[in-house]
Amino acid sequence: MMNIDPDPIPIRGFRPTVSNAIAIAILGGWLIVALAARQLAPYDPDAVDILNMLAPPGATHWFGTDQVGRDVFSRVLFAARVDVFLCVSGVLPPLLIGTGVGLVSGYFGGAIDGLFMRIYDLFVAFPFFVLVLAIVGVLGPGLVNFVIALTLVGWVSYARLIRAQVLSIRETEYVQAARCLGYSPAVIVTRHVLPNAIGPVIAYAMSDAVLVMLAGASFGFLGMGAQPPNAEWGVMIADGQAFVQQAWWICLFPGLAAVSLGLGFAFLGDGIGQIQRRQVTA
Amino acid sequence: MNVLSALVRRLLQLIGVMIGIAIVSFLMVHLAPGDPVSLLAGDRTNPAVIAGIRHQYGLDLPLWRQFIVYVGNLMHGDIGRSLRFQQPVAELIVRFMWPTLFLTGYVLCLAIPSTMALAVIAARRPGGFADQTIRAIGIVGLAIPVFWLGIMMSRLFGVTLGWFPVSGYGVGVGDHLYHLFLPALSTAIWLVPVLTQSLRAALIDGTNADFVTAARAQSASEREIFWKTILPNSVLPTLNLLGVMVAFLIGGAIIVEIVYAVPGLGSLMIGALLGRDYYVVQGLALVFAMATVAVTLIVDLLTAFIDPRVRV
Amino acid sequence: MSAGTKPPLLRVEGLGVSFAAVRAVKAVSFELQPGEILGIVGESGSGKSVTCRALMGLLPGAAHATGSVTLEGRELLGLSEQAWCAIRGREIGMIFQNPASHLDPLSRIGTQVAAPMIRHLGIGRREGLRRATALLDSVGIRQPEKRVHSYPHEFSGGMKQRAMIAAAIGCGPRLLIADEPTTALDVTVQARILELLRRLNEERGLAIIFISHDLSVIADICSRVIVMRGGEVVEHGPVRQIIGQPRHAYTRLLVDSQPGRKGFPPPLPAADIAAPLLSVEDMSVVFPARRRPLIGKAAAFQALDGVTIRVEAGETVGIVGESGSGKSTLARTIVRQNRPSGGTVRFDGEDVPALSGKALARFRRRVQMVFQNPYDSLNPRMTVTDAVAEPIWRHGLADRRSAVKQAQALLEMVELPSALRERKPHQLSGGQCQRVGLARALALKPQMLVADEITSALDVTTQAQILQLLIRLQRERALALLYISHDLAVVAGMCRRVYVFKEGRVVETGMADEVLSAPRHPYTQELVASLSHLAPATAGTSRPTGNCHESR
Repeated sequence: MMNIDPDPIPIRGFRPTVSNAIAIAILGGWLIVALAARQLAPYDPDAVDILNMLAPPGATHWFGTDQVGRDVFSRVLFAARVDVFLCVSGVLPPLLIGTGVGLVSGYFGGAIDGLFMRIYDLFVAFPFFVLVLAIVGVLGPGLVNFVIALTLVGWVSYARLIRAQVLSIRETEYVQAARCLGYSPAVIVTRHVLPNAIGPVIAYAMSDAVLVMLAGASFGFLGMGAQPPNAEWGVMIADGQAFVQQAWWICLFPGLAAVSLGLGFAFLGDGIGQIQRRQVTA
Repeated sequence: MNVLSALVRRLLQLIGVMIGIAIVSFLMVHLAPGDPVSLLAGDRTNPAVIAGIRHQYGLDLPLWRQFIVYVGNLMHGDIGRSLRFQQPVAELIVRFMWPTLFLTGYVLCLAIPSTMALAVIAARRPGGFADQTIRAIGIVGLAIPVFWLGIMMSRLFGVTLGWFPVSGYGVGVGDHLYHLFLPALSTAIWLVPVLTQSLRAALIDGTNADFVTAARAQSASEREIFWKTILPNSVLPTLNLLGVMVAFLIGGAIIVEIVYAVPGLGSLMIGALLGRDYYVVQGLALVFAMATVAVTLIVDLLTAFIDPRVRV
Repeated sequence: MSAGTKPPLLRVEGLGVSFAAVRAVKAVSFELQPGEILGIVGESGSGKSVTCRALMGLLPGAAHATGSVTLEGRELLGLSEQAWCAIRGREIGMIFQNPASHLDPLSRIGTQVAAPMIRHLGIGRREGLRRATALLDSVGIRQPEKRVHSYPHEFSGGMKQRAMIAAAIGCGPRLLIADEPTTALDVTVQARILELLRRLNEERGLAIIFISHDLSVIADICSRVIVMRGGEVVEHGPVRQIIGQPRHAYTRLLVDSQPGRKGFPPPLPAADIAAPLLSVEDMSVVFPARRRPLIGKAAAFQALDGVTIRVEAGETVGIVGESGSGKSTLARTIVRQNRPSGGTVRFDGEDVPALSGKALARFRRRVQMVFQNPYDSLNPRMTVTDAVAEPIWRHGLADRRSAVKQAQALLEMVELPSALRERKPHQLSGGQCQRVGLARALALKPQMLVADEITSALDVTTQAQILQLLIRLQRERALALLYISHDLAVVAGMCRRVYVFKEGRVVETGMADEVLSAPRHPYTQELVASLSHLAPATAGTSRPTGNCHESR
């Protein structure tokens, strides 16, 4: 009995990339710092020390002190709480809202989709930063308002991305098969469409986290985000800008912290993207 | 269909978007908590004066009537009046816009050639040393806060080395180029990786495209294939991305202008926000949106010019 | 070397190609005489395409070629890129499987046809364009003066392939390598392209290496054939001998797998019941035009126009038509993926588009569908057992645990090895995925199965196995089967009755053997004539000639 089935069987597995390993180390590190800042910081981040103003980095103050003698190292650690919180709360709400809207809009089409497309057209017309800035300006400066503004503006990108995915997945034969098998729309959308549509959205969320972190720091810098004397990297950089000629360390270290957190998300997004591309091409 | 009819079609589609933009910028001010009038008149003015000012600005009318008035004013090019400067917003914008435009153009001039060069080098051997290096540097470039990089660069090149001025805009084109070099560079460092990633991926796709194999089978030389076949086919997605990015650039300019004290639209916007000068914010949002729409339109037309398929 | 024994145009000796550790082609040897048409037949992964790319010097950088390839006595392997450039397009032309993706979408047809001539013959752009026009005319494109200025997207599939051929023969090469040149085309277009190649071979003495997975096409056009499998030549000889007396077991299997070659047991006569199981009366489907604000509407597209179809219980009915004929729309409308804009669809007397609630759920259990693309038809994130079990427990026919048991029994029935049951679709071959698709469709114990092009993405030997399985299941379960295909040979071989579709209408219907032997409608006649039979070609077949011009 000859049973020839000559077409090759592709075999794939999950191979973690270098990017992912780096990313997980960085993000894990910052998460620990954010949770245990009180235990890790050598000084009270808000303790003013008039005798030790603008002290350069050294054995007692690793990152030096700022213009009122606060320990920069401790403040960088404490600021991680704000910035890590910002990344999570600036990404998750738009992700959830956008995914919901995109799924419904893409799968069912019709009037809801038409309305959504008009809203989308409108939102892309405004530069992201300008719109967030305007909304924060109108609502008033502060972290909470910043997150609200981000959510108001950010969900649209997620919705658009997932809608595009859904539009192609909706036409696949496995979704047609699910309809033929009589599954309810809710089952089809959540069990068959969503798991296959979410991949690129997760990768995008990582690059969005970088953007949110940078925007958060920028808003702190502009005085529109976290408010002093709260320690936040952007606020610290803004504080230090006036003293950058004598005391570069006040600006340098919070910036490096921001870069490293951003790198963590960027590498994670890069690694997820690589894995997805591999799955497509393999 | 030719490029001209594509233009007409796009313009018609844009009417809806522009109406939407007008609504959003109108509501931005009117839904804001707090009262612009009390800002103008001071908090302790008597109610009669406030009512007078309300009437003067038409704020006592129902919302929809106010919107009609607003749109009517827009038709005449009147996008509002600054409470703080006591000047039409349009005049303010014209006064502050040149540094921003110059900066945006400058960034593009720095970014586009370097993007081309880096993407071509990276795509030549995907996964090779150059490719990996460019990708890693690109990831770092994406993660750097532009304002922090600006401060650090002005400290290093401006203060320590004294090569470039750390603030201002200067007088005359040469002086502009000199003054805006650091601001443009700090923005380009963020922009180039985004564009390079896109162009590199498209170039690699292009290299493996069937029609490139076909061109090889007709013995076109590698140089000819690259310039005449791969590049035109790869440039479209990056061109569209660039269109989106120009909108981001306008937003990004805000921060860079603050760091380097460039008297542009960004500085105007932040000043207006902090001073709660709502009509300026509103006018700026409107102008930024219109600029974005215009850029999108230009990109669409360029795309239609390059790709015969989108004209149909 | 002018007199004496005729020297071969091309001689391949011990050609091997390896990618890193994988040897894609092993010790392939053959000769090609001037003016000869040689076929290379094999299934996916057989190394036939790699072989012809090696002949063209078009292997990717990672590949390593050994052995010898000589063109008129000149060694080609190991030539520099520069030396290759003097040969490719000049001495050897090549055409490809998918003409749509092998033409540069951004440049005009005339420019692309003229490019090799400008490069090799040192002529100017104007002269190149003039010759391109003449070439387009000679490959059968109407209004060549106008068409040289067209872009590829304005051409139909057949016209694109003609333009590719024009570009390949522009410099008057002695040899044309055709890699699956008609696979992506409809059968009637395929017949016309084959006709064109045959004419070029006769008029210009052009030698052709014709690569295909389709033995019947090879038999149609070639005088000698090489059978490849797993990178090796398993058999080599005149077409008549290979098909008449295949020696190698694989060649025998290949020949036996050809549609219509090995008769299926005759379909059962339909049960003699007054009311048909499925009846489609005068049905039309119109896809509304996409509305563009302020620009006006594009014309609505009429996919089906007054179609009437009946299927009795337990009967096999075939639908034949080429792409765009509306046959898939019919399938989708029967299973309620589209709404008909006119006419009725009744299943067992019930009005299908009006069903809802419990009646709809019952309809879903009674009518099921199997799809075209093996990988696309299964959710990539579910194991195959889960995919088959899901409908059973979702319809409340069993709890989840016993649904899994039933699913395993179904997978057993479709002969899927039990070791593969916990795999996901991408870890299976195309044929295995199609078996899973069948099992899933049968999970609800339907009375009727709609099968839309279910083997068109599979190799011919796999196709034969799947069809065997389908017929067996249809018998065992007394299924009504609506089998949809572009391939008249397959449909005629397994169905009792046939409907022929063209441009949204039924142009002919009748018992399968009658339609095949005495087609009445001109289109059906053309379809039957374009069937390539494996039987040794008798002299002067009734192939229609002349009529080989195309315009969209």
